[in-house]
Amino acid sequence: MKKLTIIAFLTAAVVIVSCSDVKRKPNDIYMPDMAYSRAYETYADHSNLKDSGIYYDNMPVKGTIARGEEMPFPYAKDALGDTTNYVASKSVKSPVDSLTEEQLTEAERMYLINCGICHGKNLDGNGPLWKDGSGPFPAAPKNLIADAVVSKMPEGQMFYSVTYGKNTMGSYASQLNRKQRWDIIYYIKKKQAAAKATAAPAKTETAAK
Amino acid sequence: MTHRRLAKTIILSTILLIGLSFISNTSLAQDGKALFNANCASCHKLDQKLTGPALMGVEDRWKGNRANLHKWIKNSSAYAKTDPYASALVKEYNGTVMNAFEGVLDDKQIDLVLDYIKNWKPTVETAGAGGAGAKAAESDNSLLFGILTLILAVVALTLLQVNSNLKKLSDDKSGIPAPEPIAFWKNKAYIAMVIVVLFVVGGYMTTKGAIGLGRNKEYQPQQPIFYSHKVHAGTNQINCLYCHGGAEQGKHANIPSVNVCMNCHKAINEYKGEKLFDAEGKEVDGTAQIKKLYEYAGFNPAKAAEWDASKARPIEWTKIHNLPDHVYFNHSQHTKAGKVQCQTCHGEITAMGEVKQFAELSMGWCVNCHRETKVQFKENGFYSIYEKFHEDIKKEMDKDEADLIEKGFKKENIKLDTAKYFNKITVEKIGGTECQKCHY
Repeated sequence: MKKLTIIAFLTAAVVIVSCSDVKRKPNDIYMPDMAYSRAYETYADHSNLKDSGIYYDNMPVKGTIARGEEMPFPYAKDALGDTTNYVASKSVKSPVDSLTEEQLTEAERMYLINCGICHGKNLDGNGPLWKDGSGPFPAAPKNLIADAVVSKMPEGQMFYSVTYGKNTMGSYASQLNRKQRWDIIYYIKKKQAAAKATAAPAKTETAAK
Repeated sequence: MTHRRLAKTIILSTILLIGLSFISNTSLAQDGKALFNANCASCHKLDQKLTGPALMGVEDRWKGNRANLHKWIKNSSAYAKTDPYASALVKEYNGTVMNAFEGVLDDKQIDLVLDYIKNWKPTVETAGAGGAGAKAAESDNSLLFGILTLILAVVALTLLQVNSNLKKLSDDKSGIPAPEPIAFWKNKAYIAMVIVVLFVVGGYMTTKGAIGLGRNKEYQPQQPIFYSHKVHAGTNQINCLYCHGGAEQGKHANIPSVNVCMNCHKAINEYKGEKLFDAEGKEVDGTAQIKKLYEYAGFNPAKAAEWDASKARPIEWTKIHNLPDHVYFNHSQHTKAGKVQCQTCHGEITAMGEVKQFAELSMGWCVNCHRETKVQFKENGFYSIYEKFHEDIKKEMDKDEADLIEKGFKKENIKLDTAKYFNKITVEKIGGTECQKCHY
């Protein structure tokens, strides 16, 4: 009798302790076929569709251009160690020559979301991932205003870098569509021009002194 | 007298000079660091290979020949043709040529940078400082209460037994014949009590279980990679939309593909932040998680430039928020047109190490929010079609204004609080609780 109570006590204690309040398993479902889609949904594994005799290609037809999208970039990504297209992209002109106030705010917002974490909200290359070298990113992001190369980089080459990636920067083609990329470049160019305009009078002033 | 003054000035000036040179020395080192950060740090780190080689010990590798290094830095592609070591270096880095710094940095500045590199020492990490013990196991009181209840119940039972025994003894003494003792499992009072308790507890559990069917609040599955939103969205301030940009554009808030992770993790290959803990309080090795990502990406850190994103394998994350198939939910409708913040439904995601379901995601929860949420009419082109509400609001405001004028206020002094009128219109008023909005 005594043994039995001790065993009961111990098992009860073990059960209570092992009951963690972290919920790792989902609850049961009343009607699973109503809750989980029978049809293939986004992110469902459709690599094996062919096995059930379904031929489906989730890629758009080659050369398709979405509505409101800009024309494709004329240069492909360079092969490793080659810079031909990177250099040639300098000649590509941006299809965006002006943005309304609203579009510009939108471009700024997209810049802050996608570029600002490294290149900084002031385009000074000091975003939260770099933080004067104390952030987690090991390479200093380019200072888009003051850097000798980037501040003079033609918009076509900028587009090349944003689209295919350059050095430690990755490609943003999957996050921003072509229109958004061109808009952001327009925004950066505008900021660069503004910075130059404020820097130039200061320089002539010091030169006059 | 004059000699003395001369000596004084000489001493003073030497002191000044020494002081000055000291200041300028430290400022020179500062300059070297600043120059390095501005011009070199985009491609070079001192102790990690990035786009270019790690620069620690660069002078030893160049056999201390600063003149050659100067030539190389000023115009690397021209210099590489004359030096086999330099040309091998270019080849090793797949022909990536260093920017020419001719005209950007002068000889003095290059020397400053080289001095900075020479004197730089890796900071020794003070491991274990801070963070540890911060998550000391929070004592769980429920266990204590359970044990206490059990002990009390045992004590109560023994006391009952003792009481009845004593009663029996006293009855025996006073000569009252004791009734035949009944075993407690045959005692009707006991049986009734047990039945009532079972009914109440069982009923509660059944109802609760039935309501909980298909609801998954607090669901926190283990993911294939321990990805901490707290580190990414919290500490490093990455915007939600950087990875989940689809939340504004369509039905799904997309799960980022591996190439989005690799935008940063091509370069960030170790975790150095605060200690990580999973939901059970077990410590997690952040660097190992990045290694797991590299496996999915097919990325070899030693050959970073050769990485091909199209060879990456998708990570099979476990879906947490799952609405039943008979419910239509669209993210962009809520974030873009409704201007709802992510955190409203997903909770304080910037503080979650492992994501768990914050909201009930039941129909009651949805409808309640639609009843209470005010429509954001202001600066929202999406709702410009609601002419009727516009007219209603205008009529109401005109009426209130007329009332006030009747009371003797001057028209130009009346300032109605527009928010008061706009706030009356909830999502429900514009059809937000109609069945076919979400079920069709």
